[in-house]
Amino acid sequence: MKISVWGHELSAWIARAQLAAYGNDIYHAVADNEPIESHLRSEPGLLTSIQAAEFNQRLIIDPHKALESEVHWIAMESSDFAEAKILVERLAESDKPLLLINQSNFGVGASDELQSMLDESKGQYVVYFPDVLQAGQAMQQFANPQALLIGSEHEVATELLLSLLRPFHLGQRAIQRMTRREAEFVKYAITGILALRLGYINEMAGLCDQLGIDIDAIRRGMTTDVRIGSHYLQPGSGFGGQQFTQYLEGLSTLLSEQKGSVFVDTLLQQNEVNKEWPFRTLWQHYQCDLSNKTFAIWGVAFKPGVADVETSPALRVIDALLAQGAKLQIHDPEALQTLAARYPGNQQIQLMTHNYDACEGADALLVLTAWPEYASPDFNRIASQLENPLIIDGRNLYDPNRVQSAGITYYCMGRSCLTNA
Amino acid sequence: MTQAWSKLEQSAARLSAQHLRELIDTDQRFELLSFRHEGMLMDLSRQRIDAQVMSELLELANEKQLPSAIKALLQGEHVNNTEDRAALHSALRLPKSAQLQVDDQDVVSDVHKTLDRMEQFVNQIHQGQWRGYTGKPITDVVNIGVGGSDLGPLMICEATHQFRPEASLNIGLHFVSSMDGSQLSNLLLELDSETTLFVLSSKSFGTIDTLANAATAVDWLQERSGLNRELLIKQHFIGVTAAPEKAIAWGLSEETLLEFWEWTGGRYSLWSAIGLPIAISIGMQGFRDLLAGAHSMDKHFEEAEFANNLPVLLALIGIWNINFQDIHAHAILPYDGRLAHLPAYLEQLEMESNGKSVGIDGSSIAQRTCPILWGEIGPNAQHAFYQLLHQGTERVMCDFIVPARRYVDRESSLQEQHQLALANCLAQARVLALGDAALTDGIERPAWQRYFGNQPSTVLMLDELTPYNLGSLIALYEHKVYVQAVIWGINPFDQWGVELGKKVANDLITALNQSADHQYDPATEGLLNEIQNLRGNGQ
Repeated sequence: MKISVWGHELSAWIARAQLAAYGNDIYHAVADNEPIESHLRSEPGLLTSIQAAEFNQRLIIDPHKALESEVHWIAMESSDFAEAKILVERLAESDKPLLLINQSNFGVGASDELQSMLDESKGQYVVYFPDVLQAGQAMQQFANPQALLIGSEHEVATELLLSLLRPFHLGQRAIQRMTRREAEFVKYAITGILALRLGYINEMAGLCDQLGIDIDAIRRGMTTDVRIGSHYLQPGSGFGGQQFTQYLEGLSTLLSEQKGSVFVDTLLQQNEVNKEWPFRTLWQHYQCDLSNKTFAIWGVAFKPGVADVETSPALRVIDALLAQGAKLQIHDPEALQTLAARYPGNQQIQLMTHNYDACEGADALLVLTAWPEYASPDFNRIASQLENPLIIDGRNLYDPNRVQSAGITYYCMGRSCLTNA
Repeated sequence: MTQAWSKLEQSAARLSAQHLRELIDTDQRFELLSFRHEGMLMDLSRQRIDAQVMSELLELANEKQLPSAIKALLQGEHVNNTEDRAALHSALRLPKSAQLQVDDQDVVSDVHKTLDRMEQFVNQIHQGQWRGYTGKPITDVVNIGVGGSDLGPLMICEATHQFRPEASLNIGLHFVSSMDGSQLSNLLLELDSETTLFVLSSKSFGTIDTLANAATAVDWLQERSGLNRELLIKQHFIGVTAAPEKAIAWGLSEETLLEFWEWTGGRYSLWSAIGLPIAISIGMQGFRDLLAGAHSMDKHFEEAEFANNLPVLLALIGIWNINFQDIHAHAILPYDGRLAHLPAYLEQLEMESNGKSVGIDGSSIAQRTCPILWGEIGPNAQHAFYQLLHQGTERVMCDFIVPARRYVDRESSLQEQHQLALANCLAQARVLALGDAALTDGIERPAWQRYFGNQPSTVLMLDELTPYNLGSLIALYEHKVYVQAVIWGINPFDQWGVELGKKVANDLITALNQSADHQYDPATEGLLNEIQNLRGNGQ
């Protein structure tokens, strides 16, 4: 089938790659057949699939032909609604039936607005297909969806989308049908509750520190209740991610505008406070003086598996340390380039290609992203490299006993009963 | 007695029978007696003067060597003779490119070094990178200071609230001055010790009011944090002083000290590092705008001929009213709620500067000097003391201060509220001047409904209230005070009159704590006994 894909969101590139891989001809109007932004390029499996699609001539740059398709997949940035409307205005000039699949975060009601620009009597329909892909696993999640949420006012349109996606769900997955506005809102509601769980477990961790209880025991206890489950319950120094944050901010705005509620806003503000937990811990450890100190940082991406540092908690820590005059030796398996672009020519920052090199001569090691390669390091080696054997673990990766038996002072979240620090 | 002085006495006699409404009703009155400097209009047409009085007042200024006195002030001569130093508040507003060397000090370079350090502090606070003892960013700043270290910053911050940049919107700014801890005790109940920064402002670093409040603040931090004094002072105090060695002895370190200099008088110090709360509130750009506005008035004061020189004319009108019209009360009446603290500020500026009866040469002054100043937001004062202005037995001169434009991008109802204030301002100035003649209905009224009028006033109209225009306005009053001091032959830059009370209070603290052998006057002894008895009963 001939499908045009518009936009530069991760979901747009995943759609190009996967739909092309299953025999569709994908048209688009971008300048280059590959995503420009490095965090998209590093999405596992994406770039090779895109290159394969191009090689097979299933991914075609042609701004004119792109306008002629009968199926349009729109996954643009949330700020590009005006651009989307201009596009739909042009598409509306056609007399032929159209299916417009919107995956962009334009807010609740945006898809209805796009529909109003089209002519239903000619079979021109908009469906909203929420973007539920997670960075780092997006290719696999698109190819094997657990369920399908479809916001559509027209059965014809729903069926057309389902047939388009048939190679992926094979008619064997649960399908939730709802209105476009409902589907748009579902995405906000999902993001909100995930953030709530993270915010909640962090509050519990802080309380556990005060009460002398191990948060990990509490977390394990909680997960035995099937109503709770185990996802999104790991304490950590704040959450980030561009898309996650955008939906949360959108939800926060909706809540405050529609009903004067600060519920999610409070959560977001507390998250900003949580992001600085590693800094505050270091600050207190060194009695409010970090000038002329050197710190190793492991991990700056907002989560493992991505190269994206936008809204990453690590940035707050880095900014705070730089402002205090500290020097930083930073390692990250993927995100060093994007980080370097944020701090051009900064003399206080040194980027390290090997994680142990970052520790050499440092006054502490800060672990800020839970990359698998940081999970089981040689603590004796770290202890010998650090000027002051001190680890501040913003992701609760380690067993306190193991770290401390190497002679390292260890701080993590909600486990002060197990650390001597 | 100078020639001009005698002429002015004759003019006063000549005009004594004339009502102000007759003086106003002359050709080109407004054109001749209103004066402009940039965004500020000074209207003297409601003063009991005519062209002859104006020229005699200018003659008086020249007889008193005002031109050389202005030069002496601005060039840093020791115009403060009793303390043998300059009064260089104008140097605090000089641009970086200017040059001024005073007593071997490169004044401009020092001033700008301090401004740059202030900017660092302000940026650090605005960016959330000034950290409290737990590492959280500062959310509240408390200025501890009294007199010049309080009134100026407080007044400007209140007046320029709307000019705060985004970065300062989340920073709460508080002012604490009272010796008895009234303000501080309430504030400490609300603030979070982890995120509160104190700005400790004292020129001498010996002001007991300020140090007592600071001691309470330190105790509070220690109690909440359990940490040592040194560390808490390092993270939670910025000191602003002209006595750094004393500040360091108190516990501050050089890194958190901002200095100013002996040649900055306390009540003239808002332009120095004492203005840090202003810069935290409206950002460094806003603070620099304030300085630029004041500098522009300095240039005007230095360069404009006296016949068009706003500070000179404003001062001479005061001289006329005080010394030739026998008026000794001066009301400051802003028709703009943002200027609520301006009357208190000007009370200090004028009365602490010119409330004196001894001349520069030590002789006693023959004529009257500074009047009693007081004031209130005009529309509120209309419901309070305007009765006295309109129908009392005291003669009072008034300054009406009002912006022409306000709320230009706000709701129309707010714009209408400003129109209402403007209309009231014009109406009161008119009724004070004309009295009953302001009415045109020709109806006879009983005595208690009559208005005498004939009360002189000045209208200062700003195009808009901006940091720049406010800087000009304050500099206008500063220079006015100096010009009057020159005419009266007094030193406006010392304040010996406030010293004795401090000394005696120190003495009495011991008397309150233990029954001293020392005998006071019967009146004081009587009160001391009463207090001892009440305390005894309470125990």
